[in-house]
Amino acid sequence: MSLLEVNNLSIDYITGEGTLRAVDDVSFSLEQGESLGLVGESGCGKTTLAKSMMRLLPDNGFIKAGEIIFKGDDIVKKDKEGIRKLRLRDIAMISQSAMNSLNPVHTVGDQLVEGIRAHSNATKAEARKRAEEVFEIIGLEAKRLNSYPHQMSGGMKQRAIIAMALSLNPSLIIADEPTTALDVVVQDKILKKITEIQEHIKSSMIFITHDISVVSELCESIIVMYAGRVMEKAKTEVFFKTPFHPYSLGLKNAFPSILDIGEELISIPGAPPNLMEEQVGCRFKARCPYRTERCQKDEPQLKQVEEGHFMACHYPERIGEFTEKASKRETWEAVRERLIDEGGDGI
Amino acid sequence: MMNKEALVQVKNLKKYYQINRGIRQLFSEEKIYVKAIDDISFTINKGEILGLAGESGSGKTTTGEILVRLQDVTDGEVIFDGHDFMYETREEEKEFRKEIQMVFQDPYETLNPRFTIFETIAEPLKIYGMKDKDEIYRRVLEVLQIAELRPAEQYIFRYPHELSGGQRQRVAIARGIVLEPKFLVADEPVSMLDVSIRADILNLLKDLRDKMGLTMLYVSHDLSTIRYLCDRIAIMYLGKIVEIGDVDKVISNPQHPYTQVLLSSVPVADPDYRRESIEIDDELPDQINLPEGCRFEPRCPYATEECKKCDHTLIEREEGQWSGCIYSAEDLPSGK
Repeated sequence: MSLLEVNNLSIDYITGEGTLRAVDDVSFSLEQGESLGLVGESGCGKTTLAKSMMRLLPDNGFIKAGEIIFKGDDIVKKDKEGIRKLRLRDIAMISQSAMNSLNPVHTVGDQLVEGIRAHSNATKAEARKRAEEVFEIIGLEAKRLNSYPHQMSGGMKQRAIIAMALSLNPSLIIADEPTTALDVVVQDKILKKITEIQEHIKSSMIFITHDISVVSELCESIIVMYAGRVMEKAKTEVFFKTPFHPYSLGLKNAFPSILDIGEELISIPGAPPNLMEEQVGCRFKARCPYRTERCQKDEPQLKQVEEGHFMACHYPERIGEFTEKASKRETWEAVRERLIDEGGDGI
Repeated sequence: MMNKEALVQVKNLKKYYQINRGIRQLFSEEKIYVKAIDDISFTINKGEILGLAGESGSGKTTTGEILVRLQDVTDGEVIFDGHDFMYETREEEKEFRKEIQMVFQDPYETLNPRFTIFETIAEPLKIYGMKDKDEIYRRVLEVLQIAELRPAEQYIFRYPHELSGGQRQRVAIARGIVLEPKFLVADEPVSMLDVSIRADILNLLKDLRDKMGLTMLYVSHDLSTIRYLCDRIAIMYLGKIVEIGDVDKVISNPQHPYTQVLLSSVPVADPDYRRESIEIDDELPDQINLPEGCRFEPRCPYATEECKKCDHTLIEREEGQWSGCIYSAEDLPSGK
């Protein structure tokens, strides 16, 4: 049995201007110990998806359909108390701005102890001991537990948050851009630490980021989301060598590398669709260089194309041709011209 | 670069911020400073793009802001196109401001939400005395086309909230080039944008240099985009330039230990590539009580007693590549 199984999950936000369908019919599973990278542009639904797993959606967000099976139980159906028991002990989240969520009038240690005690049966002394242990694991001195948040640097605060998230050895860690606000040297060290601990306590991880190079280094598998749907899922090493989906091919062209490849970077013209509107056909159709009549009408479903490699495109047999054309600038320039001809914005 | 004539010369630039430590300081003679920029010198040649990299607190943004005179200097000279503008009067300043423009990081906050795109771009033209309405309209259309917002008529009467992040950044660039400046400072212009559209903005900046000969200072923490866009790179650390040189040379053969550490920390999107990062302490030293000698010495894996005498003088280690370390990359000592 997988640790986590997400089946046909759809999430809506009710806004003043209508319903926004942030996540639409998403399914995937996660094995014990697996680390999964979730990538996509802003607004593609990756953070919404993550929050739904801890039932932390904002008040106007609703799980409209689907199930999230964690250790055999459906998280969607759990009541408040059931969710509370799950949080921190079973599923822990590290978010981007987490370091700003520390309470400024309590020491970091008190906050850690409070968290541990709220979600376990530990006594104050046991919790304090555990806090010291996790601080050491994450690379902070135990005396730092007596510091107030303002006495710590951004990197230290983010470490403290990670220590808190990992303090009860959760089975699933959800990391939502955990290092985006940090400098590259600190980022590198913290990411190493997170994976080290994740491997040590054998937990699974969902790692959300817009930086595909981090996924390449940290995760075993990758899911590419676009406009609320999964476009491609594969093992990381397969994905980075031979991405299949036209959107993934476009992303690969757009990404600069520190190792000079001398290739010109090419953007994907256009913008993601407005999810307040009813979506017909493939969501990537407006920006896809290979779109056909069929893509305008039928929404492609996620299908296995080769062992362990899934893609939501009608034309798996044309991957060779797509890959070759995708590296040429003209291919994407033609999309821009098409967008302008259709009266839309070319960029 | 074919044209080696200097456009911007920065000489011994210093920017200190005095900090106030409460009432006790009122009775104390001693003043406490944060040395955001501490005696840096560099040149940007005509038609060149210089990348300025470093971690937060290194002084890179302050340097960019001084070059457009958003901040005053504590000491030192900035010579732009042959004259020192740092101490000029407001009238003289207005002239030079035309020549130097800036593009900021956040395209959501740098455009006036009550101005249409036309008003945003026309404003500098009006300030600099263009009165003919048709001429202004033509010029605005022209720069929108250059910024690839085409057909320009489609964008001209929109408000910023009707644009995407990439489109807003293009409007900011269009506003930046409408007066045909000689020099553009771009501070993290793509860091808020989605990856799929970043390349377009970088290519646009490249085109502006290639077609209009615009000279640029590109400030960023992202070494990958610097390598893609820039001709030369300067690496800053705690207010000092530690290495400067040809971008390919610096990135493929970094001389300063700090540059080496920085480069070794950048993740690479290639599953076959085995990256070896250099382990260092990740906390920056106190910016008020800076270490004696080399500022990187407390964290440097190769530091020796000699480093306490280092004054960050840049030494040419390879042709066109200068490092502020007293050792060259080949004979770095094994350290403490």
